[in-house]
Amino acid sequence: MSATVTAGTPGHAASDRAATPPSLLVRILSYRTVYLWLAPTFLLLFIFNYYPAFSALYHSLFQWNGANIKLFVGVSNFVELWHDPLWWESFWHLMILTIALVLINLTFPLGAAAMIFHLWNMRMAYFYRVLLVVPMVVPGLVVLMIWKFIYSPNIGLLNQTLELVGLEMLTRPWLGDFKLALYAIIFVGFPWVAGIGTLIYLAGFQAIPGELMDSAVIDGASTWQRLMFVELPMVMSQIKLVVILTIITAFQNFTIVLVMTGGGPGTETLVPGLHLYRTAMAYNRMGYACAIGTVLFALTLVLTYLNHRYLRSSVEFSGT
Amino acid sequence: MVERRRTLGHDLPIHVVLGFLAVVTFFPFVFLLVSSFRSTVEFMHTFWGIPLVPEWANYRDAWKVISPYMLNSLIISGASMFGVLAIASVSSFVFARFQFPGREFLFLAILALLMIPSILTLIPAFLLIKDLNLINTYWALILPYIAGGQVFAIFILRSFIASLPEELFEASRLDGASTFQMFWHIALPLSKPMLITVAIMNVLSTWNDYIWPLVTIPSQKLWTISLGIVSFGSQYGGLERWGPMFAGYVIASIPLIILFTLTMRYFIAGLTSGAIKA
Repeated sequence: MSATVTAGTPGHAASDRAATPPSLLVRILSYRTVYLWLAPTFLLLFIFNYYPAFSALYHSLFQWNGANIKLFVGVSNFVELWHDPLWWESFWHLMILTIALVLINLTFPLGAAAMIFHLWNMRMAYFYRVLLVVPMVVPGLVVLMIWKFIYSPNIGLLNQTLELVGLEMLTRPWLGDFKLALYAIIFVGFPWVAGIGTLIYLAGFQAIPGELMDSAVIDGASTWQRLMFVELPMVMSQIKLVVILTIITAFQNFTIVLVMTGGGPGTETLVPGLHLYRTAMAYNRMGYACAIGTVLFALTLVLTYLNHRYLRSSVEFSGT
Repeated sequence: MVERRRTLGHDLPIHVVLGFLAVVTFFPFVFLLVSSFRSTVEFMHTFWGIPLVPEWANYRDAWKVISPYMLNSLIISGASMFGVLAIASVSSFVFARFQFPGREFLFLAILALLMIPSILTLIPAFLLIKDLNLINTYWALILPYIAGGQVFAIFILRSFIASLPEELFEASRLDGASTFQMFWHIALPLSKPMLITVAIMNVLSTWNDYIWPLVTIPSQKLWTISLGIVSFGSQYGGLERWGPMFAGYVIASIPLIILFTLTMRYFIAGLTSGAIKA
């Protein structure tokens, strides 16, 4: 057993020994137990991750009901999608949601993290950090149902508050309002500071080397200058990460819409994910659903690439 | 003393803003907790008041409905968590400490999965579960949860195990330890904080998952807590039985809060240190 471990890095060492380097096959065989250890991981990944992913890409070219009807139709699913008004409406909603969520995640959590980082009292800083994690352990669906209650027309928290402060004229069924429903959805989670975003930013701030901060102070930088010219550039990688995570989440998560409004009123809050879900589960059009999924996948890849390419990374000081 | 006053003077404006954000964040949760003790009549009349006599019947009614869903979720999330820990820790150990042919390629093959959105695989995965005759079974959730959960777990655990000093392994190797012994007696115990972080993040995501159980578990008997919360909330909300509805939400939150309280130290350290920076 231990013989397989001592192998180290063969390839390069072989040249100066002049002896015949072990062939690839021999090396693979000498590591056979190692591959055996990896077998469960890859077995599960192939069945439940790779296979469905390739199946989705492949079946986007078929008219498919998931069972007996399976007809190759080329790119006609994508052509249909191009002319599908529901797709374009849902896609427009997704753009609004994504832009709003990116802006939100670039302000509130970043601001909260910066404030916690600037506290002098370390114990209070830790206290706030714990405080911001606590809401994360409330089940997500409970949070959504609470917000549904906040917006509910009669006894909802928002309408009751408005009445309490004498703003009755503003009360309305928020999630049933054609103009406001989408914005009500964006507003869920206000003030958006208790989440993974704040923690990621905080980790970034804390990783800034102390010398850098000290020299900024010695050079007479004000708190504001330190924030703008030292700290924010140093957490650029974290900002990038949060932007990517926000975009990916926005593109694939439709639980919030499904639970809060079901896409309504009418189709005012329909998003592509929900459109895909309905197409498959209500209309049994699996091929068309796979085409929607393929387009969403491609868009995520493009956005991730653009984000990676055009948002500047942190100064390579942190090493990692 | 002067030092403390200076600190407070510096921090005070920040405390005001952060305090305000915290109050707004927590207000709905506090309202939920208080209202879970309100009787239906009180709801109509004293919306903002504090219930003087707690209505325990709310909890009794809610428990009756919500407990079977909790049990299902405990089984499913628990099994998935242990599955992920077992499989991911072994694979991470192998990726971190062995230079075998194809290592980079295989690791990339796992990392690539982080780029594949669940929305793409949703429908084919559902049809696969259907073809395997697993619809309406715990396995329909557990197996995909393990398969998907291990990706992120391996991502985190591998870099942690790789950062352990080689001398530890070298020494035990000289003492004649087998590969398995090195895994079991060195790598695993040292990775405990990371294992706990991975475990909690995994439980959080499976406990909160909604769409996948909605698709694969039509039978109400096997519903998870997420499905239960939504159906229960709509049903009781529709009947304007707000008290039991809120009590149900509180009950549904308890397991995660207990888990979090027990492991907070590791979790927060893990979250804010290496795990996310990587």
